[in-house]
Amino acid sequence: MTTQTLSPKTDSPRQWRQAAFAYLLVAPPLLLMLLLIFIPALQSIARTLTVDVDGQVGFSFSRYVAFFQDRISVSNLMFTFQVVFLTLATIFVVCFPLALYLRFAQGRLAAAVQILALFPLFVPGIILCYALIRFLGTRGTLETILNVVGVSGYRTPYLKPEAIIIGLVWESIPFTVLVLTAGLRQVNDSLIESARDVGANDWTIFRRIILPLIMRPVLIAFSLNFLGIFGAYTVPYLLGPAAPQMMGVFMQQTFGQYRRPDDAETQAVITFIICSLVGLLYVRTVAKQRIQQENE
Amino acid sequence: MARLDIVQLTKQFGGVTAVDAAQFTVNDNEFMCILGPSGCGKSTLLRMVAGFEAPTSGDIRIDGETIAALPANKRPTAMVFQKYTLWPHMTVYDNIAFGLGLRRLSRSVIEQKVKEALELVSLSGYEARYPAQLSGGQQQRVALARAIVLEPKILLLDEPFSSLDAILRVRLREELKRIQRRLKITAIFVTHDQEEALSLADRIAVMSGGRIEQLDAPSTIYSTPSTLFVADFIGTMNLLQATAAGGELRVGDYRLPAPAGLKEGQVTVAIRPEDVVLGGEGTGWRGTVDQVMDLGHYRKIIAQIPGVGDVKIYLSKMPDVSEGAPITLNPQRWLVYQPDAALPLEYRRAGAVEAAV
Ligand SMILES: Nc1ncnc2c1ncn2[C@@H]1O[C@H](COP(=O)(O)OP(=O)(O)OP(=O)(O)O)[C@@H](O)[C@H]1O
Ligand SMILES: [Mg+2]
Repeated sequence: MTTQTLSPKTDSPRQWRQAAFAYLLVAPPLLLMLLLIFIPALQSIARTLTVDVDGQVGFSFSRYVAFFQDRISVSNLMFTFQVVFLTLATIFVVCFPLALYLRFAQGRLAAAVQILALFPLFVPGIILCYALIRFLGTRGTLETILNVVGVSGYRTPYLKPEAIIIGLVWESIPFTVLVLTAGLRQVNDSLIESARDVGANDWTIFRRIILPLIMRPVLIAFSLNFLGIFGAYTVPYLLGPAAPQMMGVFMQQTFGQYRRPDDAETQAVITFIICSLVGLLYVRTVAKQRIQQENE
Repeated sequence: MARLDIVQLTKQFGGVTAVDAAQFTVNDNEFMCILGPSGCGKSTLLRMVAGFEAPTSGDIRIDGETIAALPANKRPTAMVFQKYTLWPHMTVYDNIAFGLGLRRLSRSVIEQKVKEALELVSLSGYEARYPAQLSGGQQQRVALARAIVLEPKILLLDEPFSSLDAILRVRLREELKRIQRRLKITAIFVTHDQEEALSLADRIAVMSGGRIEQLDAPSTIYSTPSTLFVADFIGTMNLLQATAAGGELRVGDYRLPAPAGLKEGQVTVAIRPEDVVLGGEGTGWRGTVDQVMDLGHYRKIIAQIPGVGDVKIYLSKMPDVSEGAPITLNPQRWLVYQPDAALPLEYRRAGAVEAAV
């Protein structure tokens, strides 16, 4: 059945017409994407791979060599990876308990938690950043509260990598909780109860039954969050340190402040390649899910 | 391998009493069925024994020791669910071995036990399959194997075959009975299918509205239902309104002898279709044949008796009856339910024979 759905048989005229109609429907958005995204992207990639020596255009990796020989570029890339992985780890540590709670708890409190978990969805990033500065910054709300309860020596994470992570985690909670909760709702109660019945405790049930069964939602949350965080701009720009920088901020500065569009382009292509690898993971996960659903 | 005592067990969900002071004992090696209509509390009762619902009050004891405080994963019970029972990401082997692995048995012991369990449910050779590659009946057999491989003291089954088709249901029912006999497991089987209960159980507990209405051997439940609910719920029963007076029962324009000890007043007379014969000139109930249903080895006839109502009877062979023809009925055995008595009274005509069908 899988082969059939992946490559529809188009031998009869009616099927052929149907297929043609389907292609016609998807043609306009495909064309737009081709014109506005793929072609410029390919052009950029092509430009980063060529050098122009006295009018002589030739193939060369020199721009990439330059990027990876530049200490600041490499440290920014590494910094971006660090922030991405720490943020992702924090997101899952925060969102798994939330999603599990929302899946298994009932009543008013669960409904309230659900609304709270979705709340960041309605707050624009820039407002979030200023709110976090007022809350976490020096002499901000948190420090005031801590002083009142007698805790001194508060050191603000503002303008440190931690602030970026806090902001990005906050932004990613609604989406992650939604995806994980939806995945958990697919896990039937009796699958969990049968595991408990044969002697499994909560942790074993989570690790051996629940986690494998929601691996796809987890991969989807992982890859989409990765993409969003790797290219993040507002949060690292407003909350993060001046150096090192995340790739989004770095590109913008290279392009806008230092006026080196060629270098910015190289940075963009490197970011693009890393993100498309993760994007591939996402596409594969979704495609597998579709095939499995069709087989069920 | 064990005895189960249910002691005044009650479960309330908010204002709803799902199980109301259930009290009974399942003996060693006994196969007990809990039978009742949808929503009567069968699953809730079973789930309290398994540990998935905490009782509001009452106690559950296995071999005399309370298990009410133990969490589900520490109880010596094993449950077979209605559906979605197998873990879809594990093979048949891993499904069955999962519980054994948690008990830290050695690999060779686990292998041996899984092999035996699969043999028992006639699924040897299916170890490497995934649940999605099995039919519904095979999946339930694996679920059964997964439960019995742990050698539970009490096996609990919550309508395990109800999502299967009729033929498969009967086959699996027989297989289950055979396995239960061979392993000598104490089992509780929940069902709303009375045929299933009557054919499987050593004893049946009939439930209604959270209460246990009657707990008896299948033949007793069928021949002498202790309440009107059970009389109506089990098998086919003619329930007729009557007045008891002067040692007689007045049913419409007809009279039936009353059982000894019957008080005067409004009562309900219950007559099984097979306890009615044709004929009985003079005292017989005269009416017309309303419907004839041919059910293979016997026929079910609904007769309309003026002043009495519809009466269902079974006829095994001739005489030929056709719809609209006159008919005379002669009840041979009946039960009388009084509004304030705990048990019905039985009357059997002298010379009445056990029905053949
Ligand atoms: N978790 C719950 N919360 C609230 N009410 C419940 C819950 N579980 C069961 N009930 C109620 O308790 C009563 C008994 O339910 P139960 O599932 O035990 O019935 P059942 O006899 O198994 O029915 P069925 O044959 O349909 O499975 C029902 O009225 C049901 O609505
Ligand atoms: Mg039920």
